Amino acid sequence: MLKNLRSRFVITPWVIWLGFLGVILLAGLVSGILVFWKGLSITNLTDLVPWGLWITIDLSSIALAAGAFSLCAGVYLFGLKRYQPIARTATFVGLIGYTMAMLALILDIGRPDRFWHAMIYWNTHSLLWEVTMCVILYLTVLVLESMPIIANLEWLQKRFPKIAAKMSHVHHYAPFLAIIGLGLSSLHQSSLGATYGVIKARPFWFKPEMSVLFMLSAIVGGISLTLFATMLASRLTRKAKVNDALIERVAQFVGYLLIGYFYFRAWDALATSYTYDPGRTEGLHLITKGPLAFNFWVGEMLLGMLIPMILLLYKPTRQNRFWRMVALFLVAAGVVAFRWDTNISGLLILMPYVPGQAITYTSYLPSLIEILAGAAIIAYGLTAFSLGVKYLRVVDHSLIEEEHATVNVKATEPVRAV
Amino acid sequence: MSNQKNNRRDFLKLTAVGVAVVAGTRAIQGTGASSNTPKGKHQWAMVIDQSKCTGCNYCTLACQANNDVNPEIQWNKVVEDGMVGGKQIYVPRPCMHCEKAPCVEVCPVKASYYRDDGIVMMDYDRCIGCRYCQVACPYEARSFNWEKFEGNNPAVPEWGTPSVERRPRGVPEKCSFCYQNIDRGLALGLTPGVDREASPACVAACPTSARMFGDLNDPESNVSKALQNNPHYRLRENLGTGPRVYYLPAIAEKMEA
Repeated sequence: MLKNLRSRFVITPWVIWLGFLGVILLAGLVSGILVFWKGLSITNLTDLVPWGLWITIDLSSIALAAGAFSLCAGVYLFGLKRYQPIARTATFVGLIGYTMAMLALILDIGRPDRFWHAMIYWNTHSLLWEVTMCVILYLTVLVLESMPIIANLEWLQKRFPKIAAKMSHVHHYAPFLAIIGLGLSSLHQSSLGATYGVIKARPFWFKPEMSVLFMLSAIVGGISLTLFATMLASRLTRKAKVNDALIERVAQFVGYLLIGYFYFRAWDALATSYTYDPGRTEGLHLITKGPLAFNFWVGEMLLGMLIPMILLLYKPTRQNRFWRMVALFLVAAGVVAFRWDTNISGLLILMPYVPGQAITYTSYLPSLIEILAGAAIIAYGLTAFSLGVKYLRVVDHSLIEEEHATVNVKATEPVRAV
Repeated sequence: MSNQKNNRRDFLKLTAVGVAVVAGTRAIQGTGASSNTPKGKHQWAMVIDQSKCTGCNYCTLACQANNDVNPEIQWNKVVEDGMVGGKQIYVPRPCMHCEKAPCVEVCPVKASYYRDDGIVMMDYDRCIGCRYCQVACPYEARSFNWEKFEGNNPAVPEWGTPSVERRPRGVPEKCSFCYQNIDRGLALGLTPGVDREASPACVAACPTSARMFGDLNDPESNVSKALQNNPHYRLRENLGTGPRVYYLPAIAEKMEA
């Protein structure tokens, strides 16, 4: 016991990691307080570019949380039961993602004290209203789905065994929660795209395929992030026990999905000027030759889709854990690049309202405050996941295999820390 | 068996509570806000004659005084247009008060709404500051209060006296056709567009009478006649927003030397 206690105060990589995250969280906390105190004037947002870095973080967190609904639907609705351990991790990642999105939104809206208005004053015409309602409801579903995970907390099991047992029991309703989650997620993941897609004032956004692209990229990126987080955890700590065969199968599925995503995104972007609408050609110029060109060609296309597609579909690289992890990380990062490009491109193109005037461009770079607060939101996500791995057995494929003894899958050796 | 009955009862209870909550929120939100295209007794509209506009900016200044607008924000902006007959012409741009306003459609909380008379209004106490309306507006007619407007308004008292409250930090603001002048004027039996006190500040302040204001439902109003007798256009008409601000294009012969 004494030895245990003493070992807690030794500077381990774990302590350094938490300390590092703590510093970022602290800097973000100070920035957040400054934002609430001084207002949004200390950001680089303007009337021309009112949505910037925080909205991108918001969109990306929600997109990368999509592993939760896709994997839960796969496991509980389509009967792919053996992937349940991964769905479990995905649910927790989803919960973190949605709370990150909430944090970003609270920072971003001008009147955070009125965030609850969307629940009281309904404008059913508004995509953002629909997204807000779905996100609130889905967050509730995620909390319920995470109950059995949180019940793993040792302290809770010892101190309140009955509550812990009740929380574990929620697991029995998993299929129902999966149905509700699938419905709510399909609605708001695509509606986030439609939020941009319905804006006729900005022709580069104004297209129906925006919803489909957001949905598809969210599924691809969400599953990838879950798999990446799982593999990273298993590399870094003994607390994480994974079944690598399961991950490899899902990673291959991601590889196939990437083909569809690549085709759709490339076609959508490059065919954008077919309508000859003013503003569309300028948008194409912006992402293929302008300031977003590197993001588009390298971030989205090359690193975000093509390279991981090859790495995940070519068996030797897929079986190699390092290359698989690289591929999965790149996919998730590519989806973030897609969200950034989408949000910012439509805002940077200034459509003139005076007839005959030329289309012009504006620019946007986040301020230090925006970057610090944004980094803290990400650090919060990393902290929550790290704690989950350590104390809630979030990544523990052996845990579930015991519970579901009938599952017919070849168990392989759990991966040990290197 | 009894357990099942209990379950059913619980389910019914839960459903009843759910319905009550929905009904309750619907009742609360029924307070004045409407997201349907308005069809009231009056349909206000503005007609701006580009042949007469000299770009003097009096309209902007009068607006800033009357509505107590931060000098960094312009509800009404005078933008340079091309040349006609060797002379510079201008497009003064207030809020278009669209018939199908993108800002009203996208607002998640109905803080932007239509009045019966067609004015697109902002409920500054309801707005959450998400700025979706700004993103959606095709005319850049909305300005966000990035900081609180404190101190003196430089346009006061030279250009008028404020007749509305200052907006708080964290919400976007825009032209309201000076609804306060219209409402007060109508209550006093005046005619908006004819009587200065009942008209928007920019209309009253224009030294060349380039701006006309009136009721489209009244075929005898100055705006109805101006639209009947002159070629006219609206900004970004192809979007189908149906602006209530019309422009009479500049014609060289009509412009004074």
